[in-house]
This record gives sequence, C-alpha cells and structure tokens, in this order.
Amino acid sequence: MPALIKMTLRILLNRVKTDTLLKKNMTKFIKKEDLYKLLNSFLKDFEIIGPKQIANKGIFYEPLESIEDLYLGELFAIEPAKKFFLESSECLFHSGFLDGKATVQDAPLPDKRRIIIGLRPCEAKGLILLDKVFDSEYKDRSYINNREKSVIVGLACAKPDKSCFCTSMDGSPTGSRGMDVLLFAVEDGFIVEIYSDKGKEAFSSLGKEPDEHQNKTLSAYKQKRSELIGKNFKVPGDLSPIFESDYWDKVSFPCLSCGVCTYLCPTCHCFELVDEGRKMYRCNDGCAFSNFTLEASGWNPRPTKKERYRQRVFHKFDYFKKIFGENLCVGCGRCIRHCPVKMDISEIVSNAPSGAGK
Amino acid sequence: MIEELRNKARELLKTKQVEAVIGYQRASDGLSAIPCVIRSEEEAGRLIWDAACVYNLCGYLKDFRAKKLGIVAKACDVRAMIVLISENQLNRDDVFIIGMECCGVVDEKRARVSGRDGSDISSADKCKSCASCVPLAYDCLIKEKREKAKVSEDADKDKYEPVRKLEAKSLSEKSKSWKDEFKRCIRCYACRQVCPMCYCPRCVADQFMPVWFSKAGGIEGNFSWNVARAMHLAGRCIDCGECERACPVGIPLRDINRKIEKDIKELFGYEAGMKTDAKPFLACFDKNDPEDFIK
Repeated sequence: MPALIKMTLRILLNRVKTDTLLKKNMTKFIKKEDLYKLLNSFLKDFEIIGPKQIANKGIFYEPLESIEDLYLGELFAIEPAKKFFLESSECLFHSGFLDGKATVQDAPLPDKRRIIIGLRPCEAKGLILLDKVFDSEYKDRSYINNREKSVIVGLACAKPDKSCFCTSMDGSPTGSRGMDVLLFAVEDGFIVEIYSDKGKEAFSSLGKEPDEHQNKTLSAYKQKRSELIGKNFKVPGDLSPIFESDYWDKVSFPCLSCGVCTYLCPTCHCFELVDEGRKMYRCNDGCAFSNFTLEASGWNPRPTKKERYRQRVFHKFDYFKKIFGENLCVGCGRCIRHCPVKMDISEIVSNAPSGAGK
Repeated sequence: MIEELRNKARELLKTKQVEAVIGYQRASDGLSAIPCVIRSEEEAGRLIWDAACVYNLCGYLKDFRAKKLGIVAKACDVRAMIVLISENQLNRDDVFIIGMECCGVVDEKRARVSGRDGSDISSADKCKSCASCVPLAYDCLIKEKREKAKVSEDADKDKYEPVRKLEAKSLSEKSKSWKDEFKRCIRCYACRQVCPMCYCPRCVADQFMPVWFSKAGGIEGNFSWNVARAMHLAGRCIDCGECERACPVGIPLRDINRKIEKDIKELFGYEAGMKTDAKPFLACFDKNDPEDFIK
C-alpha cells in the first residue's frame, strides 16, 4: 500500500496551482492592429518570443525584434516552445578557484520577463506535464525561473493538422490548460480569454467586452475545432502485459534511431550532463539514440531499436501515467509529421495488442 | 506496376530466393509511404510503389547482415548500394535488387513545411538533376507503364548551378550564412541515421573521450558536426538527398554534399556509385592526380 499512498500524494502535490488562476475567466475582444500595438508597447519591458515564418524552412519560435515578424497563422511551429523552458543546452554551474579554495557557483539566471505568444493548447499542456517533473518533489531552479518569468499567450488552433490527436490525450484544440491568456482568431481580430493574474496584468487594459455575436462565435469555434481532429483512439489502460510482445519488434522496424521525435516533442525531457571546461551543461538527449543507455562497461540494456522504441512508448503511455496520472503525450503530432520515415505513434499505441503474448 | 512488384516479391519468397523483402507500404495517413519488411507471401500485398516512395532503403540492409534479402530500389538507391558493395559493406550476392523505373519522387519535405498533403507538390529537387530513371544494376526491373519514363526536364541543365552560386559568395558571406543555418541544428542526427553511407558502428559524434562535437553552448559543436559529416561523405555521397529531407529544421545539407561532389568530379573525374566495378574514391590513388590545390 505505501506505493499507492505515495502515488496519491504525488498526484495531489502536482495539482495545478490554483492561486494564480482567476476565479472567473475574463473575455475580451481585441482588433488585430490593437493587439500588435499592445505587443509593440511591451517590447521594452518584456522579451517577446513568438512564431516566425522562415522561407523554405517553416515556422520557428524566436525572440522577436519586431512584432511584424509574428506569425499567427494556421501552420504549426516545428520545434515546440519547450526549448525556452528546458533549453537544449544550458549551463547549470561552473567551478573555479578562489583564494586557493575550490568553488562551485550556480549559473546566473536570466531575470528579464518575457511573453511567449502563439503557443498552441497542446504545447501549453506539455508545460503542465513538465511541471510535474521539474517543479514538484524536485525543484529545478532554472526551469522554475523560466516558468515564473514567462507569460504564456496561447493561440487556439484554427485548423488542426491531419497528424494531430490532442482530443485522444484529454486535450482540445481550444484547451486553456497551462495558458495565462488564449487568443481565438476570428474574422476581424482576436477574442481573448484571460485565465491568470499574470495574464490579467498584461492584457486587461485593452480591448472591450465581446458582444453577443462574438460570444456566439467563440462557443461555436470551441465546439467545431474539436470535431476537426481526425485521429481518435483510446490508449490501452495498462501496457505492461505486452512488454515482451513481438509487436514491438514489428512496429519498430522503420525506426532510424534518430532524435527527431524526442527533440521535437513538447513533453520529452531526457537530458545528459556535459562537462565543458569548468562548466557543467545540461543538454538534450533522447531514448531513441543507440548510446542513450550505453554503460561504461560496454553493456547496453537497450541494444536494438525494439527496446528503444518500446521505451519511448512505455514512458509516455505507461510509466508516466502510473506515477502522475496522465499520459506524457499531448497529441501535437510533431513526431508523426516530422518523422523521416513517417512512423505514427498514435497508430502504434492504438493498435497495440490488448493481452499478453503475441 | 504495383501488382508486378507484389508478384515478384511473392515469387522470391515462395522459391526461398530471399528471406525477406524490404519495400514500402502505405503509412497511416493514407498518402505517404513507410518502409516495411515482408517476410511471407501473404504479406506481399502490402507493398506499394508510387511517387511517395521517397526513402532510400539501403540503410535497413545493415539490420540483416549475411542474410539473403530482396530490396525495392530506385536508381539513386542502387547507386548507394554500388558504393556499399565497393566498400565491402554489402555482398552483391546477398541482395536481390528489384529495380524500379522511377519518374521522380515527391518533395515530401516541401509538403511538410508548407502544411500541404504532398499530392500537389512536384518532384523533389534531387530528381530535377537526376538523369537516369533506370537503376545501374538490378536483378529484375519493373518498368514504368507511363508513356516515357523520364525523370526530369532539367536533367541536361547545369546541375551544379546552385553550388556555383554559393561558391561565388565571399568568405565572410559564406561564414555568416552557414552559421545562421547551423545555429538551428538540434543535433538529432537524423541526417546521419538516414544516410545509407553512415554505417560506422560507433560514430565519431557518439564518442565522449574526448568529445569531438560538443552539444554544450555555442554553435561550434554544430558547425564541426555538420562539416565533419559532409567530409566523411567525400567521394561517397550519391546525392540521394535523404539527409536534407530528414533534417527537421531545414538545413540545406545537399548544398555542402554537392560542393564536395562537384570538386571531386572536376578534379578527379570521379562520381560515386556510377560504375559497378569502380574502387572507392579514396582508395584509387593515381600518380597523375592533380595536386596543384595542395598549398
């Protein structure tokens, strides 16, 4: 039983902190040019990060020097905004000598506040999942600082991609979890829903209450978008009986063991520590790489792509769920869209055999 | 054409000429292809062939060393196999090449970036400079039924034109533009994993005593990784374009590969994978080789 108590405690501890959330959502309507004006006025106090369209490459989140570059269209960013919270390479501390003594100093944390705009509901939910790892029993100072310094201004999806499956992961193309503010692109501007104090501080000064017509548009928008998600499936409750199944051998055949799926995932958070001179860095790592679990003795507990791909699926849909109560996947579809060989994790999970054996 | 391919696979498996056939099947989106391995006659119905079959499947051969395999291959894929054979990485008798006459594959990458489904996207860039639709070597050839199988109208044009444009830039321009490209590199190593020529059991990038290409801080590590990757392909790259296609952040890797390819062609008249009996480029020293570029 202690395991169960521990699990319940963890789930309780990990509940969303409600103190920063508003008791009642605020809804506003802002014209497009007013929103851009507002963001422009923020430029001197905030770092503004948002999606930017780069020719022949796609959409990338980048710190914006000019609000003109902001892309609030239908296309999805290639990398998730995770990289601004859990940086792909980040100095943790550095060591040195002072008066003949060895010293270890934490790396300085940035203190500039920032607005991250254009996050999709799936990515914001991904941050809530990362909170469970980096802001619960273990407190990661740099992750928490990045979270505290950021106002998350989301953008509800107008047109989900064919690889999206957020509704199967208890999400929605218009979900508000993890958002401070969420924008809904409507004909002549944005309907803005404000959920938190942080959001209120930044956005309450502008816009007007939406009229009845706009309220109707908003509720229709919310309903319609979920219906646009083509993939719908149920994750098997417990994958452990099929751990040894041949199924993993079969489905992992196309896998190249590259890091596209893990690096572009809004929830994957494995890392390695790298010494660089006197600095200690935390860098991205991923379970698909063949040397991820390679031990100093030369033994590798996950020698083939079967074990590695199975690990990825189990971490997301079994282990994490058993500890934290939900899947470590938000259904953003990036791993499907960008997989060089078009592997589809949603298909692999939903087709998993239900019982033990083959 | 697809039926012909499936029948051939059935026949090969039935007569036990091969243990398995590596080919393409339809992916979950109903439009793209995904690599698959066919082990029995019944499964052969899954095989497909169309312009969505972009991948170079040679990389999967290393999963099955010393087994007799059938493989569905386009002209560019066969070039890769010719290099692998010349480098003793593949035994010609171990593969049964089902050669496919190819009219070019879709630009899957452009479709992905622009959010389209690929059906309205023209041929991939690599196909535009490809001159041969029939593989150089095969054990059986499955012919394209369409009127005239021609890969590209542009095949006769100067295929190194983009490279020449790059060469014309000044040193500082080049340095800046490549730094801008490489700062995006996320070191997912998709370019390496997808490359049929990257078969080292332990890549130099995976060594950590010492670390050759650090992932920590700055772009120096990214820069040296990308340059080293291209240099390791000197005289070996057959321009299948898989690295550039797989790169999720859109680094134009083919430009670097083709610069090296062009230099080698102009200096030594060597093109990788174009002759079945050629020695590997770095293994064929000739005392008449030009050396005036050594300074």
